[in-house]
Amino acid sequence: MNYIDLTEKLVKKCLRIGADAAEVYLETTRNLSVQVLKAEIETIEEASSQGVGFRVFVDNKMGFSHCNDFTDRALEDTISRAVAFAKLSSPDENNVLTDDMGITKIDELYDPGIVSVPMDNKIKMALELESLALGVEGITKSSGAGYGEGESEIFIGNSNGIMKSYKSSGCYLGVYVVAEKGNQKNTGGETCSRVFFSDLMSIEEIAERATKKALELLDPVMIETQKAAIIFDPAVARSLLGGVITAINGERVLQGASFLKDYLNKQFASPLLTLIDDGTRIKSLGSSPFDGEGVPTKRNVLVENGVLKSFIYNTKAAARAGVVSTGNASRSGFTALPGIGVHNVFLATGNHSQSEIIAGTAKGLFLKEVTGYGIDAVSGNFSGGASGLWIVNGEIIHPVKGVTIAGRAFEILKGIDMMGNDIDLNRRFAAPTFRVAEMQIGGK
Amino acid sequence: MEKHYVRDIPRRKFIELSMKGGLLIAATPALMTQLISCRNGARSAPGLDMDKEILAGIIAKALEKGGDFADVYLENRISRQIVMEESKFKSGLYGISQGAGVRVVSGNKTGYAYTDEITEEKLIRAAEVASYVATNGSRSEPVNISEATRPSYITVEQPLGEIADEKRIEVIARADQAAKDYDQRIKMTMVDYYDEVRSRVIVNSEGIYLRDELPLLFFIVQAMSDNGKTRHMARERLSNHSGFEMFENVTPETIAENAAREAVVMLAAGDAPAGIMDVVMQNGWGGVLVHEAVGHPLEADNIAKGIGAFTGKMSQKVATDCFTMVDDGTLPNFRGTVNFDDEGTPAQRNVLIENGVLKGFMTDILSARQLSMERTGNGRRESFRYIPIPRMTNTFIETGKDNPEDILASTKKGIYVQSLSGGSVNPITGVFNFTCREAYLIENGKKTKPVKGATLIGSCMDVISNIDAVGNDLAFGPGICGKGQAAEVTAGQPTVRIRGINVGGTKA
Repeated sequence: MNYIDLTEKLVKKCLRIGADAAEVYLETTRNLSVQVLKAEIETIEEASSQGVGFRVFVDNKMGFSHCNDFTDRALEDTISRAVAFAKLSSPDENNVLTDDMGITKIDELYDPGIVSVPMDNKIKMALELESLALGVEGITKSSGAGYGEGESEIFIGNSNGIMKSYKSSGCYLGVYVVAEKGNQKNTGGETCSRVFFSDLMSIEEIAERATKKALELLDPVMIETQKAAIIFDPAVARSLLGGVITAINGERVLQGASFLKDYLNKQFASPLLTLIDDGTRIKSLGSSPFDGEGVPTKRNVLVENGVLKSFIYNTKAAARAGVVSTGNASRSGFTALPGIGVHNVFLATGNHSQSEIIAGTAKGLFLKEVTGYGIDAVSGNFSGGASGLWIVNGEIIHPVKGVTIAGRAFEILKGIDMMGNDIDLNRRFAAPTFRVAEMQIGGK
Repeated sequence: MEKHYVRDIPRRKFIELSMKGGLLIAATPALMTQLISCRNGARSAPGLDMDKEILAGIIAKALEKGGDFADVYLENRISRQIVMEESKFKSGLYGISQGAGVRVVSGNKTGYAYTDEITEEKLIRAAEVASYVATNGSRSEPVNISEATRPSYITVEQPLGEIADEKRIEVIARADQAAKDYDQRIKMTMVDYYDEVRSRVIVNSEGIYLRDELPLLFFIVQAMSDNGKTRHMARERLSNHSGFEMFENVTPETIAENAAREAVVMLAAGDAPAGIMDVVMQNGWGGVLVHEAVGHPLEADNIAKGIGAFTGKMSQKVATDCFTMVDDGTLPNFRGTVNFDDEGTPAQRNVLIENGVLKGFMTDILSARQLSMERTGNGRRESFRYIPIPRMTNTFIETGKDNPEDILASTKKGIYVQSLSGGSVNPITGVFNFTCREAYLIENGKKTKPVKGATLIGSCMDVISNIDAVGNDLAFGPGICGKGQAAEVTAGQPTVRIRGINVGGTKA
């Protein structure tokens, strides 16, 4: 089936059925996953699917419908539902579609080679990864290893004449293990996700990272309730950045539901904090030539030296704010309306190596795991469960588990006093190691 | 266990999430997917009208290369979602989702494939893909399929398919108005109305054929207060498997006023204390604590793998005498009720822990076979895009003997948790966390100042050994449980006291 023709045809059909303006978002996907356990295949799943979502406007009112049945009758019925539903909504002059014809050229978002790697090789990789991880001393059990891949093609057309499409791929390889010692049990896992199959980390490296996580927190010692420095490992940076990203969501800001709503162009964080969202980076899982409603993607500086430089917007929120879309319309699939989200977020690096940060800390927790919701984007509160390594006089002296950490977002973000230089940009939330001067720790 | 309504998940997030917690996520996440048109009268999902003989042929194809068990699952879901934000109807969403999956189990191996198109040709192809795991080559006998019957625990007075959209709009607008009228410090409300009718057909190599239709309503009111200095987003939810009469039993105003009350009260919240202290949890949705801390570790998949926190502890004393915990998929019209699970096993009341002694795990067909245990009716799936796995239904601490006021009065110092946002658990180690939504200090046996949302952490074994008082006021709350795939559940408990939980506050 020619999906470009179909998409264009469906835009016209929406107008014929009664929409004043319409957008068609069509997606086809293929997925494969293999999970192995104890040297045996546990599950193999495979599927191809497709679906289409219709966003229609009638007198500035919006309706949305979706279906995964591509017969003429089903498509027509679904469009009629969207048109009928639109009539129930409130009119909003900001209900507009993009007319930006641009497409950001980004190389290497699709690996045509993934599909031609034989299935047996993929299974073997997962089996070998599990076996390598289980071979490490102290690792007692496997919770499974897995390989997965997906590819999708997205088509967006709208009644302003836009017709865009692109194809992308992704694959992952990971393992999850258990380390037991006496009555203690600790888990550790690592998953590597890439656009290209040949860029996956070696099974040796994945196994090493996973097993290290499981082993390094054995024999913990409980610490007193106290205030101390907190060093964030790159793997847990998201627990802080996630709340900041939610708080700069332009729609939440307009609704007043953000602790950063009044901080545009103001200093709210340490001068060491520079945060960038780049939807244009090659070979990156968060990149795309255009966002979830067809606006070309860009590289946006969100926070520069602690000053909030930009909120993030889709077309509707931008219209309401009187600005232009930042190319941050996100879409979780054809079943969803465009929301607002980031592409590839990262912190600019600083001058210190991780070991310098540890060595420069008189008393602190080198944070390895954080549980909970992170920063509350409405109130700016932060509270979570934590595990890590306890540092005294610049040296790691023992692991710590079962403590809590808490603080207020402004105090934490202003308190960042050392920024590392050790970033891995393959993470979608990438950060170097960094230190917050002081946070409350809850212990015995 | 709770998933927020994040509408801005970047498209490829599933790849990153795929290995989270060692759990598998199949394919595109479609949290709110949906289903078919009701144009042809009687049966609401004509796409599921596949002939039984054809289905038997697909089972036969699935087992052609061997394998011990096969099933075919057909699904059709029609959903409606209407969102009001800032007192405007932001959008109406209508969805139709239909598809089918074929599963083959061979020893410990599972093969699965699904298709959006319910045709014999596509299902035969899915059966071939799923049979990849079967290599024992044993020929199976032809399967005779016959209609099975199961009791239903869901009653409908006002079918969702017959409700005019104007009535949906009306309950939303009433909730919005009630929240705004509650207090001038309520600056914004968000009302999310969702309903669906999920039709399913389950056929398996044991010969059963089952078909039913499950209606579901989910109503969420969020109210945000702001006094110029601080703000709080509060939430209240209502959900049942039932018809539209749900709103006559509990009015939209009641839901909205509860949310608004929390939003206003929490404006005065001070810093929460940090460190280990006693916690009194009010009855209701607080049951999410045991859902996370104890329920997930009692799901049999991790037990079958030999890694779950309760592995090897059956019939042993694991909790205090006053602690009894139950999962019951038969509670009338409850959000977690299933009639029969997505593998066709009838729902039942399962006592998991009785007076502190471990009595049962929650199984699906595969884990029941691996552990030589009974099937408990807990094999559930988010949609045809996922394989069934052991999941909870309505999970709760059984009602006890203590008077709730006495529990509070006998607690000298600590935290009183009135409601929780949600939390998560590592089912292998049993280490859990959850976040307070509305909480207060306890000083000299009295509830005093509200405190800001703190995280509570602990391990499942410790928490059930440290519950020393259980009230006589069992109540429930609705939620969405995430375990690689979403499931609708309730969590419940009477007022309980837990000695010694670590609280993540900002004040030493």
